[in-house]
Amino acid sequence: MKRIAVFGYSIMSLEVIKQLNEEQHSYVFIVKNDAEALLVAEQGFDTKVIDFRNDEAIKSVGIGENIDILFCFYPKDSDNVFLTISARALDDELTIIAIVDDPESAEKLLAAGANKIIDPYEICGRKTHDMLAKPDITDILDNTVFGRHDLHIAQVEIPKNSSLEQTKTSALLLAGTYNLILIGVVDKVSGDNLHFVMDEKDHTLNIGDVLVVLGPARDIKAFKEEIEIVTNIS
Amino acid sequence: MLTQLILTLVTFQQHSSTYKKTKRFFYHLLEDPDSRLKSRFDKIMIVSVLFSVFLLIDEVDTPASSFERMFEHILIALFIFEYLLRAWLYNDVHHIILKHHAKALYLNRPMQWGKVAKLIVAKKIEHMLTPLALIDLLAILPSFRSLTLFRALLIFRLFKLFRYFKSLRLFAEVLDSKRFELYTLAVFLGFLIFTGSIGIYLFEHAANGQQVGNLFDAVYWSIVTVTSVGYGDIAPQTTGGRLVAIGLILTGFGVLSFLISIIVSAVNDRMHGLRESSIYAELNRYKSFVIICGFGRVGQHIAKQLEKHQQHFIIIDNNEINAMNARHLGYLVIHADASKNDVLINAGIKQKASAVLCTTGDDVVNVYITLTSRYLNSSIRIISRANNPKNVKKLYQAGADNVIQPFEIAALVVAQYIGKPVAFEAILGVIREEKQFIMETLPVYTGSMIDGITIAELDFERKKLMLIGVVSTNPAHRKHKNSYALKNQHFYFNPPSFFILRPGDLLVVLGREIGIVYFREQLKNSRPKESKR
Repeated sequence: MKRIAVFGYSIMSLEVIKQLNEEQHSYVFIVKNDAEALLVAEQGFDTKVIDFRNDEAIKSVGIGENIDILFCFYPKDSDNVFLTISARALDDELTIIAIVDDPESAEKLLAAGANKIIDPYEICGRKTHDMLAKPDITDILDNTVFGRHDLHIAQVEIPKNSSLEQTKTSALLLAGTYNLILIGVVDKVSGDNLHFVMDEKDHTLNIGDVLVVLGPARDIKAFKEEIEIVTNIS
Repeated sequence: MLTQLILTLVTFQQHSSTYKKTKRFFYHLLEDPDSRLKSRFDKIMIVSVLFSVFLLIDEVDTPASSFERMFEHILIALFIFEYLLRAWLYNDVHHIILKHHAKALYLNRPMQWGKVAKLIVAKKIEHMLTPLALIDLLAILPSFRSLTLFRALLIFRLFKLFRYFKSLRLFAEVLDSKRFELYTLAVFLGFLIFTGSIGIYLFEHAANGQQVGNLFDAVYWSIVTVTSVGYGDIAPQTTGGRLVAIGLILTGFGVLSFLISIIVSAVNDRMHGLRESSIYAELNRYKSFVIICGFGRVGQHIAKQLEKHQQHFIIIDNNEINAMNARHLGYLVIHADASKNDVLINAGIKQKASAVLCTTGDDVVNVYITLTSRYLNSSIRIISRANNPKNVKKLYQAGADNVIQPFEIAALVVAQYIGKPVAFEAILGVIREEKQFIMETLPVYTGSMIDGITIAELDFERKKLMLIGVVSTNPAHRKHKNSYALKNQHFYFNPPSFFILRPGDLLVVLGREIGIVYFREQLKNSRPKESKR
């Protein structure tokens, strides 16, 4: 289970938590005052009232210790930049996701150490354009992959001693065996780029390579478990 | 008998599509200000008129060559034809006749042909007396060379350019809009010239009879002085005459300033309207475009995306700063309230607009614009922004096809990013065509090469494409598993090899653009001939 620290109470932070799988994540909400703390507590989350400018205070939340992901969701970009710099100094491995108000601040946040910048207005603008340009595809994906239906896109990493090691992607036949569609492979050696399987049929899988698959949650889970079992047996 | 013949003829005109089409064509050619055809015709006429004027000037010294004569004849024939066409387009004669005929039938009395003829002639004369029609007529006359007087009318051929130069016409309209002010100024100027002329005549005629010999000399001097031209050929010699000159010069400055201010204010008043009409003319050139209501943060990003993908759009925003920002970026902008019917109608919601995007930061405004848009066009695509999740339902009720919530979508991106960043970026890249691979839907046409065959027979692997699923409304597919309900249809994910494709099904495929385009062409070409038509 991943532990997430959410700095800043807003519609955005509540929406993110709504979207995330409750079983896989636990949260701690950092709010400015007791009134906000009461509001968040009503939603059933742990809350803490701290001053994010104080390193000791953010350490007390668990940053640098047991927090895996940090959400910087303050409305002011300067607050998010300050928090990002402070948190990055405490933990190099921490995944920091920050919201941006002024697009010009995006680069500053990245320079401060954020992993992913979220501009809600830009995303909304792009989404609207997607809806206009490709209504069929966005409708399908919104209703399935990003929507209420149980169809997901997932990353499956090839574990150590996996039976899939040294297997060619053309021999995987995931569609027939696991009801999954293999979209592509991330070759660990050549970086984080996704190689689509239509072009690279004969890629030989190695430990650490990532398969990007599309399919129902249960089938993804079954596929992951099978890899785990193989790993355990071997 | 004659009555019957006329009635048959006008009834034919009333119902004949060929007649209507012909009249519409000539309307687009000669009168429709937004027509491309008119714009081309105007350009040809401008060149022809200028050329003909040069030829006529040349003829003053040298006899006309046979080419010049032929050109003049053709041009005059064209002018006469144009003149008659404009008279024809001015009104519908058959409407007058049919209206009076219906009236006569209703009242059970004979048709009053004399009255009808008078009415028809009156209407045509009304047209002939319009300034532009008079110019048209006067432009034809210089060609009658035998009449020397008509040569002077050559200038009217240049006036004809008013018809073809949009900006000249607009300037005339601007002046026309300030008719009252200009009339007041003209009266004042007339009074000034009259007083000045009488004054200078009284003072100068006796002492300076050589220069101010008669009243005409006095009027000429007054006009030259009041307009600050001052040739100096007539100069007052007496003190009284000089005092009149001082008075005229000083008031002349005032009159000139007044005239300039009238024209500047008229141009300013019309500027907003002029800018909008140029925008509408520009929109009219596009095959289709998107209307963006609200140029806030979301609107700006949408505009950026549309611009990037070379799609046409128009922005409507009531906020002056937003409108100015959009204008600075070079976008087409209407500075108006998008919830007003006439604003959306003028923007083309009933014509070439393909979608309306309600992206203001105020849900109340978005609901109102959505409702107005749906009322004005029942089939147009409407995408609305909801800032508060509680208003999503209201926007759908108002007629939106899709509702977007900036924070919900952003939250979804965050949620998808956590744990599977590569996969998520990949799928987004595919949708946005940022990768080499794209996802597209391909239709199964009736009788095409894939109608009725199984997925296995299609062999996507050989085509270097990946089948993600099939979208269909066909109940025959319901037996298959992996079915996901969409709005009015089902999405069959990873269909089995024995899945039989039916007409109307949509294949959702992933692949390189070149491969998808090639396969789409194959599908289109494999349709039976009747369905192609």
